[in-house]
Amino acid sequence: MVKFAAFVREHWVNILVPMGFLMGIYLDRWNDQRLTAFRNKSALYSRELKPGEEYTWK
Amino acid sequence: MLKVLIPTIMLFPTIWLSSSKWLWTTTTMNSFLIAFISLTWLKWTSDTGWNASNSYMAADPLSTPLLVLTCWLLPLMILASQNHINSEPVNRQRMYITLLASLQTFMIMAFGATKIIMFYIMFEATLIPTLIIITRWGNQAERLNAGTYFLFYTLAGSLPLLVALLLLQQSTGTLSMLVLQYSDPLLLNSWGHKIWWAGCLIAFLVKMPLYGMHLWLPKAHVEAPVAGSMILAAVLLKLGGYGMMRMMVMLDPLSKQLAYPFIILALWGVIMTGLVCLRQTDLKSLIAYSSVGHMGLVAGGILIQTPWGFTGAIILMIAHGLTSSALFCLANTSYERTHSRTMILARGLQMVLPLATVWWFIANLANLALPPLPNLMGELMIITALFNWSPWTIIITGMGTLITANYSLYMFLTSQRGSIPEHITNLSPSHTREHLLMTLHLIPIILLMLKPELMWGWCN
Repeated sequence: MVKFAAFVREHWVNILVPMGFLMGIYLDRWNDQRLTAFRNKSALYSRELKPGEEYTWK
Repeated sequence: MLKVLIPTIMLFPTIWLSSSKWLWTTTTMNSFLIAFISLTWLKWTSDTGWNASNSYMAADPLSTPLLVLTCWLLPLMILASQNHINSEPVNRQRMYITLLASLQTFMIMAFGATKIIMFYIMFEATLIPTLIIITRWGNQAERLNAGTYFLFYTLAGSLPLLVALLLLQQSTGTLSMLVLQYSDPLLLNSWGHKIWWAGCLIAFLVKMPLYGMHLWLPKAHVEAPVAGSMILAAVLLKLGGYGMMRMMVMLDPLSKQLAYPFIILALWGVIMTGLVCLRQTDLKSLIAYSSVGHMGLVAGGILIQTPWGFTGAIILMIAHGLTSSALFCLANTSYERTHSRTMILARGLQMVLPLATVWWFIANLANLALPPLPNLMGELMIITALFNWSPWTIIITGMGTLITANYSLYMFLTSQRGSIPEHITNLSPSHTREHLLMTLHLIPIILLMLKPELMWGWCN
């Protein structure tokens, strides 16, 4: 238990970059969704989504 | 784009909150993680030409290889600097690594920017950490002079660019690369437009640097610590080439007439810097002038504006980035043992460090463009494009290639062959870290031999 606490105290900073990575992925996907939100609403592109299909653009 | 940029920004708290014992290990490991994440950009998924896009940043086939190169360099810089900087107080070590991380941040934003004004701001922002690295961690008093040259050459070259960009915004209403390529060609027919054209390009020609505007580079390289030289040679110079390629889209009708003096300077510069290399006594200075020669070829390739010229330029930029960075690492390896950059004082290293001689050999072969290394691919495409433009250029580029081979072999033979000087009595053996560093430079070069289309850029 003491060793575990020492380990955490030494190495906790290593979660910062992976955390940034996950945050970046989330923001990228959120941005993709925002930029393409109107695609399926447009008369030009809209269509019935196939089973299991989430977007028309992917 | 954000899945690499945000981890890079998170490096800053990582650097300052790590315990001193684990500082270098932690930052190296995390920057390698970022480098491997950036490799996902190489998988091309977009049919619009732009990938990983958001409102301000995106990647396209031109910027992607430069972005990946930028991310790859940070862990290598940290590895290369560890031995030298470890003797400093801990907070100075943290500051040093922070400056390297900030350089990576600014350059990701520069290469990723879709608005030219943001590219300009990041292009300028890279001056600050680079200047601090050179003037604070350089080894000699001349580092202040080198910093002054670096700062004022770049500022003097780029302030006209700012004016030119504001004029462009005024006339077209946008500075977005996404939109500018569809706008009507500019009617450039007055003297004012020619001056505007020069303002757009000279900033990048200074950064390349083109022969004649290059005096800051050898000073900066010679005085910079190893990481400063690596980032300067590998990536900062590429900002100039990248910027030129972006601007060429809208400079198009004028470039055909006005590019002549710059193409002449570029080609003549290949010869002259090669000859200057042959008479260098300072190892780092020799490698620096080698950079000027290679970037002269890149400038020539871009200015003739053909698909082969552009492709050759981008290939040579990537290959040169890896090769010259490797050479600067080797020069640093030598310097840390002999404490001298003078080549004649450090001969015969083959007898002392035979495996390092292998790295020197491979790096020098890459520098002189041995087939089938990517340097040769880039050089051949540029030479062919120039020949198509004017058959007489084959004389200049042929001589340039010959001289490049000459000084590369001269560098190798002078530093490795011969007997060991008598005053060198206590050379420490290589660290595995140094061999790892060279391996990590040469593996991408070898892999790019197998799949060069990753770095062809726009043209396929």
